[in-house]
Order: sequence, then structure tokens, then C-alpha cells
Amino acid sequence: MIVISVRRSIRLFFATLLATAMVLQTGPAGADPTPSLLETLHKHTLLASTVTDNGDLNPYAITVAPVSAGQVKLDDVLIDNFNNVSNLQGTGTTIVDYSPTTQKMTLFAKIPQTVAGCRGGVGLSTAMIMLKTGWIIVGSTPSTDGTTQTLGEGCLMVLDPNGNVVSTWADPNIADPWGNMAVSDNGTTASLFVSMAGFDVPAPSVKDPATGEAPIIRKATVLRIDLSIPYAKPPAIKSETVIASGLPEQADRDSFLFGPTGVALGTDGTLYVSDAVDSSIDRIQDAVTRTTSAGTGTVVSSKKLICDPLSLIMAPNGHLLSTNGLNGQVVELDPASGKQIFAQWLDVDQAQTPPGKGDLFGIALKPGGTGLYYVEDDTNFLAEATP
Amino acid sequence: MSITRRGLLGAASSIGAAALGSRLNASELHVAASAHGRNQIVPFFGDYQAGILTPQQSHTYFAAFDVTVPKRSGLSELLQSWTDAAARLTAGLPVAAATEGSYDSAQPLLDSGEAGDLRPARLTLTFGFGPGLFVKDSTDRYGLGSARPAAFVDLPRFNGDQLIEGKTGGDLSVQACADDPQVAFHAIRQLARLADGAAQIRWVQAGFRSGDPGKTPRNLMGFKDGTQTPSDPRHVVWATDEAPRWMRGGSYLVVRRIRIALEHWDRMKVAFQEQTIGRQKASGAPLGMTQEFDQLPLATTDRDGNFIIPETAHVRVANASTNDGAQILRRGYSYNDGVSFVAERWPPWHQGMEYDSGLLFVCYQTDPRTAFIPMFDRMSKMDMLNQFATHTGGGIFACPGGVVKGEYIGQRLFEHI
Repeated sequence: MIVISVRRSIRLFFATLLATAMVLQTGPAGADPTPSLLETLHKHTLLASTVTDNGDLNPYAITVAPVSAGQVKLDDVLIDNFNNVSNLQGTGTTIVDYSPTTQKMTLFAKIPQTVAGCRGGVGLSTAMIMLKTGWIIVGSTPSTDGTTQTLGEGCLMVLDPNGNVVSTWADPNIADPWGNMAVSDNGTTASLFVSMAGFDVPAPSVKDPATGEAPIIRKATVLRIDLSIPYAKPPAIKSETVIASGLPEQADRDSFLFGPTGVALGTDGTLYVSDAVDSSIDRIQDAVTRTTSAGTGTVVSSKKLICDPLSLIMAPNGHLLSTNGLNGQVVELDPASGKQIFAQWLDVDQAQTPPGKGDLFGIALKPGGTGLYYVEDDTNFLAEATP
Repeated sequence: MSITRRGLLGAASSIGAAALGSRLNASELHVAASAHGRNQIVPFFGDYQAGILTPQQSHTYFAAFDVTVPKRSGLSELLQSWTDAAARLTAGLPVAAATEGSYDSAQPLLDSGEAGDLRPARLTLTFGFGPGLFVKDSTDRYGLGSARPAAFVDLPRFNGDQLIEGKTGGDLSVQACADDPQVAFHAIRQLARLADGAAQIRWVQAGFRSGDPGKTPRNLMGFKDGTQTPSDPRHVVWATDEAPRWMRGGSYLVVRRIRIALEHWDRMKVAFQEQTIGRQKASGAPLGMTQEFDQLPLATTDRDGNFIIPETAHVRVANASTNDGAQILRRGYSYNDGVSFVAERWPPWHQGMEYDSGLLFVCYQTDPRTAFIPMFDRMSKMDMLNQFATHTGGGIFACPGGVVKGEYIGQRLFEHI
């Protein structure tokens, strides 16, 4: 059975709300015995504004601190901003830190607009992770005019736990690290999985004569970056492996870029990738160990409730959760069967059509796995969904 | 009797072209006092500055100036000059009278003359002092720093602020309001010219409001704007006795230039617009009520326990009862500056040519620390309107008490030191 949950009152914009289930489509009862996580989440709470003193906005990435290090405490929530005060996408340079203990949001990092080795400047994307050793890796997908007309190739930056950039990674495999990262972190070694969505993406004014739309470029990749992390030293790249390629990417004047936007790693080493152009979730087998590209992988599930999927995470019940770009829903699906199980409107802001369109992006599990953190790009708030 | 500035100009012809900044003479005052209707003159002199509690005129032309004159004496001379000119302009007179044959045609006129055939139009000129008059770039240029009132604080950065430097701040402000836009602009134009060498315009903003007298005007979002006003504004606007002597009878002005995404707004369902504002669009009645001036039913909920007026509706978050009693007197105007290229600050981050239109928000209060600042700090985070409105400029100004004849505006500030 596929059900969709809506907030109790669409009128309420910010308030803590209850979810009410509404059956959208029915199927064989009991086909998936695993309980849905989304069905258990009824309370939605705005936690804190993500806007910084310099006016950065449009929160993208969320990562929950796995350790206490530097000024970051265990279970703190780090959020980065994609826009600066000019509202232009690909120009944000700040990371904020939400403390669940104090319930305060503070500035964690303010990175310069240009960093040596970061091609085209800094515009912090959804690619951000904190390692168990306290290092933070964050991606830049930069522009200067808020569109891909000025898209630079960007970089990955390594920050210490006090918010200082300590090194920058840029090479031919790295072109606009875009989607939320997955990580296999063993402490002294780690593997990052990050989508690259900026290979040969033209300006949004360039149209495909056949469709009249911006051309779909099938050059996006997922890169595995294997790291060594010497004691008390920043992580260093041991090797890079393109494990998926030929994924679609497309410029958009308003949304900046469509492409592979989220990755999530299963316990068996399978990587799942959200494809925002084709509205599908794809499977890359043996992502941790493979030495070659799996191409675009195989489609696990597509369309129906999945509408321009963005961030992707693996829930404790083994289901995938994907935020939608075309509305304010998060979708839960079973990666084994591909069955779309449940969708919940996290954001019902009617200032967008359909409600919540473009408002969601990053998503993360709360410690313990019983709730979600998510960003609301319309109001620039960190929010949580809890039972 | 129909009064025009040309008529007054004739009546004052004996003053001659050399009367720059001259005081009103008895005959001029007599003529001015006899005006009525559209010809009404709002007295310039008094215990309080006009243009604060004055019934709101249809147009404004607001100007902020940077003071450039290096010496305090130069500043006080400017204010003296402005005072004399303001007394004449608000009385429907040109800055300097000139009639055919009375001036040297080889010289420029001292008044530009575009208001010569126009009526006084209830022109008011309200002067304010910006933070830069007291300390600028860490320098107390005029030795006035110690006279800065405690209540006269810098505005903090509010959530969502996207202030443009060229439309923000200022050492001096002049709010010109009149029932004729040309009269208001004319007044600022003359004052700016008089300031040559002493102060220069930093930014200006024209504004307008339309509607029949006695009816609440509608803003550019199509909603009635101004239904809620303080029951006794005198208790809301005038600085308290704790203020320095020069600010007694004065008021603190906060002005904000608020660009409204009208294209975005126009695409919203009317029900959502009404939820955003908290009022019905046609009648102006609060949601759940039937008449414009019905009390806001802030505590009323529906069967599910949800507030009839949403928690983030504009009228709720702006209401004094939800702001620890904070009150301001609003005196805002719509503005329309054509179109310009903009990147919206909401998904889907639309870029394009859009109206540069919205609200010139103007408010007066006894103490911004307990009025606009806490009120708007909350609104900047919670108001549903934030998805359509962006603050792009403005400032804070201390408007001194009124001027009695023989004084100049703010004179008591200079005597204070």
C-alpha cells in the first residue's frame, strides 16, 4: 500500500504539526513487512534559522557530527548554505552548527569566496560529511551569476573541526560535487561517495533544438574517493574510482542544476543514487570494492511518488528516504523490491506550486534513527520530524 | 479663494530675489493661515514636528543625506537654512520669492519654480538625525557623540535583510509628505540645493497611497493596509522624559524600503494570500470575522485546535498583544520604481526582470529598543509575508522636537553640548 501523509492543516506554515495519513494508491496488503519510518513521524518542529550574519541562505547539506571534535559536539548538526546574500546560487560560503543541547545555531565556518585550488570559487553544495576523525569534507559547485553560465568545476575542501580550510581537492574526476555524500568510515581509512554533476553542463540559455529544453548531458558520475587519515593529520586521497557514469545532468535557470543529487550506502556495499533528471533511484552494486564504472547502474524505482529526487539516505529499517524537488514530500521506498511505500509532505508551503516545490534538499537521520532532520529552503530553517 | 504658490509668490514679491532662506513675514503668514481644503497648510512651527501625527498625505518623497561639511558650525548653518526654507515651503511659498522683473535673468533662480502654480497641499517636512551625525567611522565629527540618546541605537541586521548600501543609512533625513507629489519632490529638491557643499543626497524614495478619505487604503498586494492603529498614538510616538532635552517632543523614525515580489504574489491563491495576511482580501475583515474593524480573533481555533488566524499570519505576528505590547505608528507608502533584474530569495530562485515595487515602511516610536526592533526581529523570522518581501534599504533617525519661531531644527542638540 502506498500512502501519503500530509500535515494536519495546510494553513499552518511554521507550527508543529501532526501528520494525517491519506491513502493515495492501494496494493497488496502486507507485501512489505518492514514498518515504515515515515509513518511513525507525526511531529514537525522548526529548530533554528540557518541564515548567517553575512546573509547566506538556501541551506543544502545536513550532516550530523559522529564525534566531538574542535568546536563541534557529538550529534551537532552542520548545515551549509548554497546562496549568498545576493540570492545567487553557487555563491554561499558558510556552514552553521545547530546544537541539539543548547538549541542554538552558530556559525561554524565562513570560507572565502575564492580558495586556492577551488576552480571557479566557492558555492557550498549538498556534498558534506564529517568523519569520525573530526575532519569535515565539503563540496563546492560554484557560480558567479547564480546559473551554470558561470559554473566552475569547484572542488572538495577539507575543514578542520574549527571550520578552517586545511586542504583542497581538485582533479579531472572532480567536477561540481553536488549531491549528499555517503561514507564508509573506518577511522584511519574512509571511502567517500559523491556525485559529480558538472561535466560540460552548458548555460541554461542553451537549448536542445529537438526539445526546446536545456540539453540533457549524460556525463555525470559517482566518484568513490578512498582516503587515508594519518593520526592528527588531514585525510589524503589514496585513490579515486569512478563507480558510476553516464548519469544525466541538465542546467536550469531557476533550479541551477539537475543531476545525481543523493547517494546512500547500503550495509551490503550497494550504493543507491537519486537521478533528478529521470526521477529514478538507481543501484550501483559493490560500490565499496568495485574498480570499474557500473555505468548508470540499474533502476530500483522511478517516478510515481518520486519527483525530481534530491538527497537520499538509508533509514535504519533498510528503506531509502528521498526528498522530492518538485514538491515538499519525502518518499520512503524499499530498495530490495523497489516498492514506493510512503510519502509525507514535510513542507506544504503554498507559496510554491505544488506546495513545497524546491523547498526541501538535505536530509539526515537523527541520532538513534527515530527521526529526521531536514532543511526548508523557503524559510531557511532547520527542521525535524519526530514520532 | 484659490491659493497657489504663484499667488503667494506675488503676495511676497516685496521680499525679492535676495530673500534666500528668509523668515515668513506677517503678510505671508496671513495668506498661509487662510488656506483651506486642498490648499491647507500644515503649520511648520510647534512643539512637535509635523508629518508624524499629521493625517497622512497622499505622497511622500523621503531623502537621506550624508553630511560632508567638516565643522559643526557648518552643520548648524545648514539646519538653520533648512529651517527657514521649510517654513516657507510648507506655507506654500517658494524658497525665495521672485517675480517677473524682480530677478537678475543672468543668474539662476533660487527656487526651481515647478511648484509655483501648485497649492500648499499640506506639505510637511520632518527632519531626522542619523547615527552618523553623532559618530561616523569611529569619529565624533561634530562633538555631538555624548548627546546621542540611549534609545537611539543602530538597527541590528535582521533575518532576511538584503540592504543595498546606496539605499541605506544617512546622517540626516527629510521626510516630505504632501497631497501633491510634485510639491513633495519640489521641497526636497530645494533643500538638497541649499545643502550644496554641506550635505549630499545619499538616497531617496518616492511613495504614494491612494484611496478615498476615511477609508483604509490598499497596498500593492491588494489588501487594506493600516486598519490597526494605536488607540492614542501620542503615547506611541513621542520620546519619553528620559530622552535628552533636545529629543523631548521628538520621535524615533525607522524607515525600511521593502521590495515585494508582486509577480510571485499574484500567482498565489486568494485563500493563501488571506492566510498569509490574516485578513480577508475584499472586506479587510480578520479571518473568521465579518467587518474590517472587528477585533482580531487571535485566540479562536477551529475544530482541530488550529488558530483561525495562523500563527505566522502577518496580522498576528505584528500585533502588539503578541509582541509584549510593543507599538509603533506606521506612516508608510507604496512605492514603484519600475522594473529591474532580480534573483528572488525563495525557491525556485527565479531570476528575471521584476517590478521594483513594494512598501516604503515608515514608523515612529518612543523607543526603537522596545518597539520596532523586537517586533521586527520576531517578524523577520516568523512572518509568512517574508516569502514575498525583502528589505532592501532604510535607516533609523532621531527626529528632534518641534521648532518654535526663532529656532532652527535641532537647535537644542547643539546647545546641549
